[in-house]
Amino acid sequence: MAPRETVVCIGCPLGCRVTVLRDRKGNIAGLKGADCRQGEKYVLKELENPVRTLTATVRTGDEGFPLLPVRTSRPVPKALLAPIMQETVKVKVRPPVRTGDVIAKNVSKSRADLIATADWPGPRGEG
Amino acid sequence: MAKRVDVAVIGAGPAGLAAAIAAREQGAENVLIIERAEQLGGLLPQCIHNGFGLVYFEQDMTGPEYEKAFMDRAVDMGVETQLETMVIDLDEKREITAVSRKHGYMKFRPGAVVLAMGCRERSRGAVGIPGTRPAGVLTAGTCQRFVNIEGYMPGSRYVVLGSGDIGMIMARRLTLEGAKVEAVVEIMPWPGGLIRNEVQCLHDFGIPLLLEHTVSFIHGEERVEGVTVCRVDAQRQPMQGTERLIPCDCLLISAGLIPENELSRRAGVALDPVTGGPVVDQDRQTSVPGIFAGGNVVQVHDLVDWVSREAEVAGRSAAVFADKGRAKRTAGIKVVPGKNVRYVVPQLISGAGDVTLHMRVKEPGLSARLDVGGVLKKKFRSVRPSEMIVLDLEGEALRKSGIKGELVVDCDTKGSG
Ligand SMILES: Cc1cc2nc3c(=O)[nH]c(=O)nc-3n(C[C@H](O)[C@H](O)[C@H](O)COP(=O)(O)OP(=O)(O)OC[C@H]3O[C@@H](n4cnc5c(N)ncnc54)[C@H](O)[C@@H]3O)c2cc1C
Ligand code: SF4
Repeated sequence: MAPRETVVCIGCPLGCRVTVLRDRKGNIAGLKGADCRQGEKYVLKELENPVRTLTATVRTGDEGFPLLPVRTSRPVPKALLAPIMQETVKVKVRPPVRTGDVIAKNVSKSRADLIATADWPGPRGEG
Repeated sequence: MAKRVDVAVIGAGPAGLAAAIAAREQGAENVLIIERAEQLGGLLPQCIHNGFGLVYFEQDMTGPEYEKAFMDRAVDMGVETQLETMVIDLDEKREITAVSRKHGYMKFRPGAVVLAMGCRERSRGAVGIPGTRPAGVLTAGTCQRFVNIEGYMPGSRYVVLGSGDIGMIMARRLTLEGAKVEAVVEIMPWPGGLIRNEVQCLHDFGIPLLLEHTVSFIHGEERVEGVTVCRVDAQRQPMQGTERLIPCDCLLISAGLIPENELSRRAGVALDPVTGGPVVDQDRQTSVPGIFAGGNVVQVHDLVDWVSREAEVAGRSAAVFADKGRAKRTAGIKVVPGKNVRYVVPQLISGAGDVTLHMRVKEPGLSARLDVGGVLKKKFRSVRPSEMIVLDLEGEALRKSGIKGELVVDCDTKGSG
């Protein structure tokens, strides 16, 4: 038997646990447990293509400010979170960086860019 | 420091920044923020995740982005800041004593004070877990600082005790950074943080949430080698025979926050035993005239947006006080938590003018009916202790109701959520 698939709705503090019913072909046959229509819509969207904004850091090589916080410019498919994390390790940044600057383009072919979420004027370390 | 200060704000987190900006907008000329850290922003620089600003800016921002919006504003408004300066004393006459390496020891008496010191995390000592005292036991917020600001990982295999938002957010962050998070352990029958975080931080990464469980022992001499996890009974006591060992090299504690009120106590500010913060009125004035408070120092907020809003009230009122030498008296009616309500802030209201009430329920429930002394009734599909309820009460309705003395807030629910 396939594991029972459940999705928790985050539409309101109720957090309904919605069970997904599938037919033999694996198509969605129905939803059980959602308390409202809004929630059902959310669950269907989640099942179709769950996307998340990824936030992470990249190394600057600056002793006083070793990490620059970054995020994806738009939500990306969940499956791309790990590959994008791998890419952030290789990213090199040069100052000055301003909040909103693009740090890397089209990461893991997600059509999202990595953008800076803080300013980095330049080395703050010794000297 | 001989120069005049109209409004002094203690703490430069989102509360302090918002209060200072509002005080300037209200017309206070010399507004000074005193901050012990070397940068502005309080907790926000280390909260690199998104989820900020949804209410205030109707945008999904990260902590540093949210912080920048306020910092730029504060600079534009001519707010003065003094960093790496710690306020060590405050008295009932609003005299501030502060120390800094650069300026040494200083004493001054501003026209009004805003307390915005935020809160601190409950540590292992506060939770009280038996076992050895090895390296690798730290609070989730400290770990967040290590990973997001300083750039190193405290361990590779983690157990998180407590399902507060910080703990769940760190569980995700550590997983993305390549660590293994074995479980998040929660003593209560419900998660301590927002559902949004339970889904996006735990479910997304298959991290188990063990409700009605606790850590009953920490193993390891030099370094954490594992923890014993067990079920708890209805009295939250460990149940014998349910223990199991989870090997790990790090235990993160995310067991709640405590408002930081050492200074408030020194100044003789009356504290609310439930919130752990000062008792405040509608203008966010404390029991000591001229001392106001906003943000996590008053109550532990779930969303930073409410922190900013609350602190703005405090900042505005402080500016008025600094100008007039007194605040308008607003403390006519006591707001009393009734059925299934843990606390309500502000604790005192005037009975006139619009007021926003912040409250938390004791237990989760469905089909909740909130009743503010018969003046305002509101229905909620569900309520949970982790989600703060925010209600706008109209001054006109309040005045018409003719309520005097006490306003009791009840929350009736059907079944548990
Ligand atoms: C780790 C964490 C994650 C969070 N995640 C989210 C989230 O995802 N979304 C959301 O909306 N909210 C989130 N919050 C909530 C929100 O960030 C906090 O509620 C907010 O930071 C509180 O602001 P504050 O200004 O009251 O306190 P703080 O940000 O703590 O600022 C207090 C400041 O006061 C200073 N200070 C204290 N005592 C003194 C003294 N004696 N002298 C000088 N300075 C002093 C401190 O150094 C500090 O800078 C999170 C909170 C935490 C703890
Ligand atoms: S399904 Fe509806 S009621 Fe249930 S959590 Fe989602 S939004 Fe709330």
